[in-house]
Amino acid sequence: MKKSDKKKSDKKNKLYLSDKQPLSTVGKLMLFLSYIVLFAWALIILLPLADMVVSAFNGRQEQYIMLNDNFQFSLKHFDYLFNETLYLSWVKNTLFIAIMTAVITLIIVSFTGFAYSRYRFKGRKASLMAIMLIQTIPTFAGITAYFTMHSVISSIAPFFTRQMMLILIYAGGGIASNTFILKGYIDSISTELDDAARIDGCSSMQVYRLIIMPIAKPMLAIIALWSFIGPFMDYLLPRVLLTNPESYTLAAGLFTLINDFRTMNQPAFAAGGLLTAIPIVALFIVLQKQLVSGLSQGSVKG
Amino acid sequence: MNVVLKNIGKKYEGREEFTLKDINLEIADKDFCVILGPSGCGKTTLLRMIAGLNSITEGDLLFDKKRMNKVPSKDRDIAMVFQSYALYPHMTVYDNMAFSLSMRKERKKVIDERVMEAAELLQIKEYLYSKPSDISGGQRQRVALGRAMVRKPSVFLMDEPLSNLDAKLREHMRVELVRLHKALGTTSIYVTHDQTEAMTMATKIVLMNDGKIQQAGKPDEFYNRPENIFVAKFIGSPTMNIIEGIIKEGKFVADHGLIEITPSPNDALKLKPFEGKLVSVGIRPERFESGGEFGDTFSATVDVVEMLGKEKILYARLDNGSELVISTPGHFEYAVDEVHSFGFDVGAIHFFDTVTGLRIN
Repeated sequence: MKKSDKKKSDKKNKLYLSDKQPLSTVGKLMLFLSYIVLFAWALIILLPLADMVVSAFNGRQEQYIMLNDNFQFSLKHFDYLFNETLYLSWVKNTLFIAIMTAVITLIIVSFTGFAYSRYRFKGRKASLMAIMLIQTIPTFAGITAYFTMHSVISSIAPFFTRQMMLILIYAGGGIASNTFILKGYIDSISTELDDAARIDGCSSMQVYRLIIMPIAKPMLAIIALWSFIGPFMDYLLPRVLLTNPESYTLAAGLFTLINDFRTMNQPAFAAGGLLTAIPIVALFIVLQKQLVSGLSQGSVKG
Repeated sequence: MNVVLKNIGKKYEGREEFTLKDINLEIADKDFCVILGPSGCGKTTLLRMIAGLNSITEGDLLFDKKRMNKVPSKDRDIAMVFQSYALYPHMTVYDNMAFSLSMRKERKKVIDERVMEAAELLQIKEYLYSKPSDISGGQRQRVALGRAMVRKPSVFLMDEPLSNLDAKLREHMRVELVRLHKALGTTSIYVTHDQTEAMTMATKIVLMNDGKIQQAGKPDEFYNRPENIFVAKFIGSPTMNIIEGIIKEGKFVADHGLIEITPSPNDALKLKPFEGKLVSVGIRPERFESGGEFGDTFSATVDVVEMLGKEKILYARLDNGSELVISTPGHFEYAVDEVHSFGFDVGAIHFFDTVTGLRIN
């Protein structure tokens, strides 16, 4: 009795449940090889990150980061970062630029995406094409124009700083590409909803605000996140446009810690890089619910 | 509220021809008017024009003698149920139903009362606080109806509301809708391509084809007195048999010569001017008889037998290969390849002018 029971459970364990055909020897070998490649790839990405985290907390590291086994936990690099450099004002600048960029992009993109999706007007196709084609020119190509524009505007309105110019450049670039994404998303929302809302008593503005925007929330969250991350990642434009270290963004500011031997402090750079992730992670957590549904929906709809 | 359409026409931007032209229609107060037609005949366009979602190119739309052409949808005092239900996915069932009232700045208490009343009537109280994505198709259908009801509109517009339901549920909702209409007494305009829905629910049917109204009237008129060949063929399942032929010495003779029909005295009078002209005869599958009053019988071979339970549908072939559909009670014995002779119920024969397609008798 017992024996047969055991046999049964053995049989149960051996049941082949996968829908795929069992692997042959060659298949198993290939699988092993692919795992090796994947692990190597993961290591290439993770090792520098790990090294950054370790170095940031390692009191034994001096001006240059050395790869060795000496480790002593200390926060002195963070201390240096906050007290000896302009780190806090860089954070402030970056957050200001990032938040403004995200807000401006969101507001304008939500309008343009809605208009392109729901209204038929003259030049609709042509302007969409134009937006797409202009995308192919790198932002940096317009650098001289940006300088001129800034000097023209700031001569009329002196409060218009270089940082605001930067915000306009980021937001302008974001609006173009994100309009496409949002238009596609809103296209997938049935126009019968608009009709129903109109009969229920909505004006066009109310259809946008009360019906379409809440439904498009996942996509708006993704757009917000992307445009928020942009200024954290970009080095070139702030480096060229911003001339005063006080007004640097994080990327430009932190770079002064590794490219100039007078201000060189590599562990502090690592510490600064680590802290940079905090606002992005925070925003990610706030938007997490929207992002997950947005990403999965986006993947289904291609 | 009575709804009158006067010479209504619609031409879409970028189209050469009018989609709808010269539509004249009067829908009386408390009518349940069904606009019926094959797909692409312009019935949804007509409904959307009444709703104010599409503009009216020409003609007048009158609600209680007031011209509504330029009045925006929200001020027309209408409510619409859409084919896809169009429930707002980000709102709960309750909010969906309350939305139109809260857009009109109604007091919270009144809104709550109305929503509860509608929920009670439609039996959707249990899931008032679920999202539309969490409830089944039939339940969504009820919510869509409820959303239209809470406003207490003067006109109900429905655009194929039952086409997304399965057959059983559709049958059930059909009865429910009729009951609802009886209880509320609201003028309703209902668009569908399903003749069963039209025949069972309507107090008035409007059959459209090619952007024109083919016939408007009561359901039994449609079945028993179709105005033209299109109507005759569209209404009724299985489709009415149409036999083309000619009137010879007061008798109808089919083109293939295998069928002769002596018309009833009344019909004979009406057919007099058509002596020697092309005429089509329509006869419903269930109006064949084994004998026939005037002995006009024909013999046909049973080709296929469809057993439906209460009736048998026979697809019978004449000697020249042309087919007739005959419906007989289910307990009659017929087998494939048997030859039988059939006659006509002379009182149930429809005569049409073949050239114009119009009814003669």
